[in-house]
Amino acid sequence: MKQISFLKHYPLNVRIKSLYIIWYREILIYWRNSIKVFTSIFLPLLIVAFLGTGFKTLLPQTILPYDYTQFFYSGIIALATAIMAISSTLSIVWDREFGFLREILVSPVPRSNIVLGKILGATTVALIQGTLLLFVSPYLSIEIQFLDFIKTLIFLIIFNSGIAALGVFFAANIKKTESFSILLQIIIAPMSFLSGAFFSLNNLPIWVKNLANFNPLSYGVDGLRWLILSSSLTKEQILLFTLHPLKNCVFFLIIFDFIIFLLAVRRFKR
Amino acid sequence: MEEIETDLENNNTSEIIQVENLKKNYNGFTALKGISFSVKRGEIFGFLGPNGAGKTTTINILATLILPTSGVVYVNGYNVLSRPDMVRKSIGMVFQEVTLDTHLTAEENLYLHAYLYGVLKKEFNQRKREVLKLCELWEKRKWKVENFSGGMKRRLEIARALIHWPKILFLDEPTVGLDPQTRTKIWDYIFSTRKQKDTTIFLTTQYLNEAENCDRIAILDHGEIVALDTPENLKKMVGGDIIIFKTLDNDLAEKEFKAKFPQYKLKRIGKELKIEVENGDEFLPTLVKIITPKIISIELRRPTLEDIFLEVTGRKIREDEELEPGEEEPFNLASLFSLFNNKKNNK
Repeated sequence: MKQISFLKHYPLNVRIKSLYIIWYREILIYWRNSIKVFTSIFLPLLIVAFLGTGFKTLLPQTILPYDYTQFFYSGIIALATAIMAISSTLSIVWDREFGFLREILVSPVPRSNIVLGKILGATTVALIQGTLLLFVSPYLSIEIQFLDFIKTLIFLIIFNSGIAALGVFFAANIKKTESFSILLQIIIAPMSFLSGAFFSLNNLPIWVKNLANFNPLSYGVDGLRWLILSSSLTKEQILLFTLHPLKNCVFFLIIFDFIIFLLAVRRFKR
Repeated sequence: MEEIETDLENNNTSEIIQVENLKKNYNGFTALKGISFSVKRGEIFGFLGPNGAGKTTTINILATLILPTSGVVYVNGYNVLSRPDMVRKSIGMVFQEVTLDTHLTAEENLYLHAYLYGVLKKEFNQRKREVLKLCELWEKRKWKVENFSGGMKRRLEIARALIHWPKILFLDEPTVGLDPQTRTKIWDYIFSTRKQKDTTIFLTTQYLNEAENCDRIAILDHGEIVALDTPENLKKMVGGDIIIFKTLDNDLAEKEFKAKFPQYKLKRIGKELKIEVENGDEFLPTLVKIITPKIISIELRRPTLEDIFLEVTGRKIREDEELEPGEEEPFNLASLFSLFNNKKNNK
């Protein structure tokens, strides 16, 4: 009964509209910030080009049964998009610091819609970045089938929405942008070292593997490797450097998305 | 947006805001000590008090941004605790600090607001023109907000708060930090809004001369309402009008006055005599007649809210701030000019 009366006062189309506008604002701010758009593409490519080539000389194909640059590139896409998604939630702290958040909080939009809108915005920004980065793949002699490309994009959405929700969860109670960026570094650093983006987690000691099993980034990195490299490498080759099978990655990330979204909403409501 | 007025018994009563015994504690600090008041539909209601009196706390509770510790609060017929969504829908809010998105243009800020409140697109275009014209920002609608001056930002915020035609407009210190010219302009907008839309306006201020524009004023001090009435009635509390006059022989004038009107108080302030009477304009001719020494000057003054605040709280409203100029060395403009003059002389 209470539910019905609420729907009447705040109908579904109004809900979707408010969700859309919160999402739209995030995208608008991203596109207007041309330096951010540029670095979001340029920096990962720089890492792949310089760091990837550098590591490749240390680990030539005679030792590794696969091309290190291809391995590195697929990992960096996961890492770059995840960092983009989580740092985009900085806008919540920024909005709070500059007062705009109060304008949203005093409006009749439900709190869960605000959280969802922010997550969708951060995910979209990460998706834009991921798509642009995927266009580089032919230059690294990686072939991606159209169907795999679509699957990759869907996977990027599943992966990054959870990471964005994690960002909202942490941003929900923080009042200063400085403290949030410090917190982000503390979260991002261990997560990316144990993501498997730089080196395969397969040959590491058990305790590291156990930790990686709880790291959503490791699922994102592995999932993307399965999808991006599926046409370039054989299944056996990919198995050599992935910790989780694709199914596990998707399954884990969907569960993670739901849990962290609910936690983020709870924390945002206070 | 449709008007939803079902399942409400008290939506059409004359009181649009009802507050009973509202208390708020912040970790042991009592910000509000149980205040009660009500605001009538269509009136301009002012909350007057010094910094830290609890004005912003009250406005935030009314706008459902913070929860009350105890007490009952109804806004537009909805309880703030059980129906915050409907309360939020009925109100427009202008915060003390700027809450615009400075990345966006003025128009985009309004667009965003309209979407958050579910205003239809057709209505939005019409209202946008209306509110922007009202606040004289129509020509600047494509400007980015970061290029706006403080006064323009404030006006845009008022325009934005009106986009969804709220029943009540909350203004938390709408003119703080603005120059006097902009301040009067903002007040013009507030009045014209009330006229055009029959919106109830609830505002807080620490400026006494501004509070006089309200229909009714509540004076808040240390989390308590110390007085609540129309500005006229509040002024009557002081004891009517104030007459200050100066004569060639003040002693004689004092004697004469005391003999004729022992019921009125007469005070000597320096070389002037001050009396408080009920109907100053009618009393003035009689006063002139009974005083035989030559009158040098005479002044009839209505009591200001400053006098009232002094009366009800026993201190001036901005006591702490009024001390400051005395402590600080005042900037000497003359010394600056002499600096230029010296230079000229040297040449």
